[in-house]
Amino acid sequence: MNRLLTAALGLAPLALLLALWQAATTGGWYTSVLLPPPIEVARVFGAQWPDLLRHVGASLTRVCVGLAIACITAIPLGLMIGRFKWLDQITDWTIQIFRSLPGIALIPLAILFFGIGDKPAIILITLAAFWPLIISTIFGVKSVERTLLKVARVARAGDALVLRDILLPSALPSILTGLRLAAGAGWLTVVTAEMMAVKSGLGYYIMYAQTTFRAEEIIAGIVTIGAIGLLFDQGIRLLRHRICRWQEGLVLES
Amino acid sequence: MSLLELDAVSKTYRRGQEVVQALDSVSLSAGFGEFICLLGVSGCGKSTLLQILAGLEPADSGAVQIEGQPIAGGHPNASVVFQEHGLFPWMTVERNVEFNMKARGVGAAERRSVARDFINRVGLAGFERRYPHELSGGMRQRVGIARALTTRPRLLLMDEPFGALDAQTRSIMQNQLLDLWQDYRATVVFVTHSVDEAVFLADRIVIMSPRPGRVRSIVPVAQPRPRDRADPAFGQCVGEVLGLIHDDLRHLMGA
Repeated sequence: MNRLLTAALGLAPLALLLALWQAATTGGWYTSVLLPPPIEVARVFGAQWPDLLRHVGASLTRVCVGLAIACITAIPLGLMIGRFKWLDQITDWTIQIFRSLPGIALIPLAILFFGIGDKPAIILITLAAFWPLIISTIFGVKSVERTLLKVARVARAGDALVLRDILLPSALPSILTGLRLAAGAGWLTVVTAEMMAVKSGLGYYIMYAQTTFRAEEIIAGIVTIGAIGLLFDQGIRLLRHRICRWQEGLVLES
Repeated sequence: MSLLELDAVSKTYRRGQEVVQALDSVSLSAGFGEFICLLGVSGCGKSTLLQILAGLEPADSGAVQIEGQPIAGGHPNASVVFQEHGLFPWMTVERNVEFNMKARGVGAAERRSVARDFINRVGLAGFERRYPHELSGGMRQRVGIARALTTRPRLLLMDEPFGALDAQTRSIMQNQLLDLWQDYRATVVFVTHSVDEAVFLADRIVIMSPRPGRVRSIVPVAQPRPRDRADPAFGQCVGEVLGLIHDDLRHLMGA
C-alpha cells in the first residue's frame, strides 16, 4: 500500500480525537482549568522542551538498559530451555507463575530493597521485559522445523552450529515479537515506577504536574509517552523487517 | 564387498497401546555406484529404513554396515536429500549448499568455491543469493541435491525427493539426477511410491510390503539408459511391478 495513505489512515483516529478535544474546550463542556485546549499543551512543548527532553532521556535510558539486560539474559536462557526438554520441565511452572505477576505489584518491594533511584526502576523494567522475551524465545525454538534438525544431524553438525545457524535464526521472528511485547511492558513499567520510586523521567514529570495542578503539563507528558511508545514499536517492526527478510512472502505481515 | 549391507534389520514402534512392526527382518545389499529404489505403499517401512540408513534412528536388531563399518549416528560418507522443508529458509542458496561442509569444519574459502561448482552443476548459477522461498519446488530440490553432493558421499539417501513436484518438473529432475549420478558415481537409495519413477531410475527395485514391513521382492531393471517411457519393455516392467504391488493392496483391503 501507498506509504502516505498508510500514514493518513493511521493518523485519522488521532486527528478525530484532537478535533473532539478542541470542540470540548471551545464549547466549554468542561472547565479549561482541568481540560486545557490543545494550544495550551502545545505551548508547554514550546516553553519546556529542554526540560521535557531531559525527562524523556531519563525514561528512555532506563527502558533501554532494562531491555538490554532482559535480552542478554532471557534470549540465551530461552534458547537453552527450548533446546533441552529437562530444562523446560524444571522451569515451566516457575515461568508461568512469575510471568503473571504484574511488575507494578513489585514496586513497593523494589523500593524497600533498593531505595529510591534508578536501580529499582531498571530492575522492574528488566523483570517486566524478561518474561515475554523468554516465553517467545522458547516458543520460537520449539517450533523449528523438525526436518532441519535432521539435516543437521546427518551432516553431523555440532551443538554450537545448530544453536547459531538453526535454532537462533529460526526463533528470531518469534524473539522479535517478544521484544515488541517486552518494550511495551518496559515502557509501561518505567512510567509507573517513576511515579513512585524515582525523581526524574516522564512518570515523575506527570506526577509533579499533578501536585502543582498543571493539567496542560500532565497532558503534554501523556502525549510524549504515547508518541515514544509508537516510535519504539515502529522501530522494532523495522528491525524485524530488516533481519527477517527471508520470511517475506512466507507469513502475513504483522 | 558391497557398499551397503543390511542383515535382518527389524524395528518396532510403540504408539500408545499399539505396537507397529515397521520393519521385519529386512536384508539387502547394494553395490558401489548402484541405484536402488525402495518402492511400496505407505506404511511399508521404506521411510523408516531410510532413517535407519541415515543414522537418524537405531534399528532394534540386525546389522547395518556401510563399507564394512557399522553405522551409529550417521556415517561420514552418507548424505540425505529430504522431500520438503529440507532447506534453511533464512539462508541463501549459497549458504544452504555450504552447510554440510561447514558442519565438517571446511574453511570458508573452500566452502564457497565448492558450493559455486555444485550450484553451477545443478543449473542454478545466478541464484546464489536467493532465498528458498524465492525458488520453485524443482529449484529447491536441486539446492538440496547440490548440498548433499558437496561432501562427495559414497551413499546418497533420497526420501521421496520429487514427491511434491508436478509431473513435468519431476521428469526433468529425474533426468538431471541420473546425469549427476553418472558423474559422481555414488550408490543411491531412493525412496518413492511411484512405480514409473522407480522403473525409470533404478538398477534394482526393492519392493516392500506393509504390516510388517518386509522386502517382498527385488526386481532388476535391465533396460539400458536413457530409458524411454514409450518403449514396450518399459511398460512391461511397470506392469510387472504394479502387479506385485496390487497383490499387496488387495491383501491390505482384505479382498
